[in-house]
Amino acid sequence: MRRSEDIANRPVVKVENLGIAYETSAGDVLAVRDVSFEIFRGEALGIVGESGCGKSTVAFGMVNYLGRNGKIAHGSISFQGQSLVGRSPEELRRLRGDQIAMVYQDPMTSLNPVLRIGKQMAEVLMTHRGMAKEEARERCVTMLRKVNMPDPELVLQKYPHQISGGQQQRVVIAMAMLNNPALLVMDEPTTALDVTVEATVLDLVDDLRREFDTAIMFISHNLGVIARVCDRVAVMYAGEVVEIASVHELFANPRHPYTQGLIRCVPRLGRSKASSVLYPIPGRVPSPDNQPAGCTFEPRCDYAHESCRAKRIPLREFQPNHRVRCLFAEEIDASQWTPSEALIPLAQASPDSEPILEVDSLKTYYRQASSSALSLIGLAKPRYLKAVDDVSFSLPKGITLGVVGESGCGKSTLIKTIIGLEELSGGKIEFMGVDLGGKVNKRDMATIRELQMVFQNPNATMNPSYPIGRQLERPLRRFKIVPPSEIRAEVVRLLRAVKLDEHYYDRLPNQLSGGEKQRVGIARAFAGRPDLVLCDEPVSALDVSVQAAVLNLLAEIQQQQNTTLLMIAHDLSVVRFFSDMIAVMYLGQIVEIGPAEAIYAPPYHPYTESLLAAVPIPDPTVEQAHVRLSGNVPSPLDPPSGCRFHTRCPRRHLLPDDGKLCTTTVPPWQEAGDGHRIFCHIPLDQLRAFEPAVKMSQE
Amino acid sequence: MLVKDYMLQHPIMIEPHKRLADARALLVENEIYYLPVVGDGKRFLGMITPPRLAIPPERMASLDVWEISNYLANLTVEKVMLKARDLPTIGPHATLEEASQLMIKTKVGGLAVLEGPVVLGLITDNHLLVELSNLLGAFEPGWRVTVRIKGKRGDLLRLIRAVTDRDWTIMALGNVRTPKKPDDWDVVLKVVGCTREELVDAIAQLDGQVLRDIRETASYAYVKS
Repeated sequence: MRRSEDIANRPVVKVENLGIAYETSAGDVLAVRDVSFEIFRGEALGIVGESGCGKSTVAFGMVNYLGRNGKIAHGSISFQGQSLVGRSPEELRRLRGDQIAMVYQDPMTSLNPVLRIGKQMAEVLMTHRGMAKEEARERCVTMLRKVNMPDPELVLQKYPHQISGGQQQRVVIAMAMLNNPALLVMDEPTTALDVTVEATVLDLVDDLRREFDTAIMFISHNLGVIARVCDRVAVMYAGEVVEIASVHELFANPRHPYTQGLIRCVPRLGRSKASSVLYPIPGRVPSPDNQPAGCTFEPRCDYAHESCRAKRIPLREFQPNHRVRCLFAEEIDASQWTPSEALIPLAQASPDSEPILEVDSLKTYYRQASSSALSLIGLAKPRYLKAVDDVSFSLPKGITLGVVGESGCGKSTLIKTIIGLEELSGGKIEFMGVDLGGKVNKRDMATIRELQMVFQNPNATMNPSYPIGRQLERPLRRFKIVPPSEIRAEVVRLLRAVKLDEHYYDRLPNQLSGGEKQRVGIARAFAGRPDLVLCDEPVSALDVSVQAAVLNLLAEIQQQQNTTLLMIAHDLSVVRFFSDMIAVMYLGQIVEIGPAEAIYAPPYHPYTESLLAAVPIPDPTVEQAHVRLSGNVPSPLDPPSGCRFHTRCPRRHLLPDDGKLCTTTVPPWQEAGDGHRIFCHIPLDQLRAFEPAVKMSQE
Repeated sequence: MLVKDYMLQHPIMIEPHKRLADARALLVENEIYYLPVVGDGKRFLGMITPPRLAIPPERMASLDVWEISNYLANLTVEKVMLKARDLPTIGPHATLEEASQLMIKTKVGGLAVLEGPVVLGLITDNHLLVELSNLLGAFEPGWRVTVRIKGKRGDLLRLIRAVTDRDWTIMALGNVRTPKKPDDWDVVLKVVGCTREELVDAIAQLDGQVLRDIRETASYAYVKS
């Protein structure tokens, strides 16, 4: 037991009744109302909520980055005992440099693309501390080492685009920490990163907080990330904090219906669609200019009562250190909740049926242009980027195959090759007995109809000037699904199937929310009643509550039409929930494939183990193995010899000679039973003996 | 034990152009005694402590009430602060002993911790007292014993073994030359895992070692299972 001085228990930041307004032609609109919280030194406060809840606005408001029409309408922000409201822009600029630092989602927005990293990092110290160039450079190297950057001297020589996304984010964090800030505001700092990189960045945030005693305001939509790094959590909804408590208390005993809803709609690792149901929160976040007079969550709340509509609800103390903005917090028990609509777990598909898709030694190579003199005269040996290299699997009808792996592992290229957007370089794809090897424009209409795709970003796949109805009519006409006279009725049926009503027929895409657009995308993919639908990250751009609804919908339609799905997702909990089979890809190859439940327990491939150890789980009581991958995915232009994972494998040392075999010989496929296959040299018995990467709490 | 690990990081600071009234509010509201004054880039310029807020009555004597208001409004931090050049400071890699030595020598109760000209933190006599308490395990439950030993080679080891060989745990240990008997040492141990009688008995078996004091701290009473 250690005791510290009392001063350590004073908040670095104290926000009281903060209101932030934007001036519009219709008058001031309050985007954030009555927000109060404090952050203590060395503490990380998580702020979580759906898009549009005002999380980032609070962060921007704290340093007055609100833009020309934004202003602090009421309340106070006290930083280190002094008010931040009403300070001159010059004072705030100095404070931002000296004592407050910010890290945003996209590291490239914080880095200057035309300056070498060394120069822009050193500039922070030279400007704010008047440090000499050489000393500043040395300090930058030290700080880059602290953020676990490999070869920091070399990184200083590089331009931002020459390093990976994870490394860019580390540079931004290192830059933020150079001035030893008292407060670090992190706005979705890991959202754009792969799960393995995310895990190392989150470890880093935790270490830095301890070492530098920095107060951290951590904004994220991901409950798993919040559970991993934060001490306390504030849940925001429609511009208000609706619940604030310690992270353990909030996850164990959520008291606001919105918090409970958020926790219910996230798939837990280890749960499948056959064993559990995701419950989406109905409705959507009200816009700031159209908020209910009473409780802002009342229109979406299962427990709404007349008194909730009467007046605004204050944030009140439910227990010491647990505040909630709900009149019925004492009565609402998450474990007693019953869904308003009956959602029943779906039947697990049986993989015994006939294969619909057979992929054999599939290769997709991209020829790389070279600027050498030999290549100019055509004598150079061509170089190929092996995006997909020797991938084989068989997909039974009605099954969902989830494909997981880091960015650049070839999962998108794999499905683009199957659908025909990329040309096959070798191997064979057989779909319902038809060879898909030829060019896509040579495929017959029936094959095209049978094979459809749902894209990640529904915005990018819809014509903004065509109404929804017209966009859904197109596949119906083209594939001649129904007679022309019945097209409208069929579009309406499709809209209803994706839980949208007839009114959407004449709406334009910009009149729809992200989740609604994705429903239209799903309706369009299923319009031709395809046998195989390829989904490329179908829910990753959506909020968690919408994600739950879209996943339920996909599963329901899949079951109705007995469609086979091949789904890519970076979220391992989503993939586990949704898939019957899972394939793990690394550097263009499948390293493990098998039934979903088998992939998530030993024996597994060391790469799968690292992915599972890294996945953020929205439950602070879950214990995860600390297995972290070092380095980046090697270039597919020149993949490592032997096992491609050997350069990063944390388990290689289990083999004799520190895994020399892995560096020289391609591993064998080992059968672990039930169609579960692992591409690794380590004997199955040893793989079985691994401690589970995730130890779930007893329920 | 280095200063950087035990100092207060990110102390509350003030800029030199701020009004003295603001400095006073910070000291009072946050119940702090030392307020480093920093310029651009957290450069150390001076320190405000409560005695600096005292304005000599003779300075006010000739002023009427309106002039006093005006005088106070124009009184900025830089006009009254102790200047950096007159203040002792310490680096983050100094030991806690060096920090306390410096405080004793210069008769100050708090030091700004500087890296070059930049303030990294603050270390005060209060921090040192807290760490002295931590060092002696003041907040650990257990038996606090003081044993006087001769300063002979192996004496301390015998005492430690008397505890650890019985599978009891030493939570904290400190030794100091006995006041007025510089050849002897007083060793303070915080022990858990035994009853009071067992501990007394174990120490009694050590030749030349005298149990000076034993007491229970932080509600510790070991019950044998």
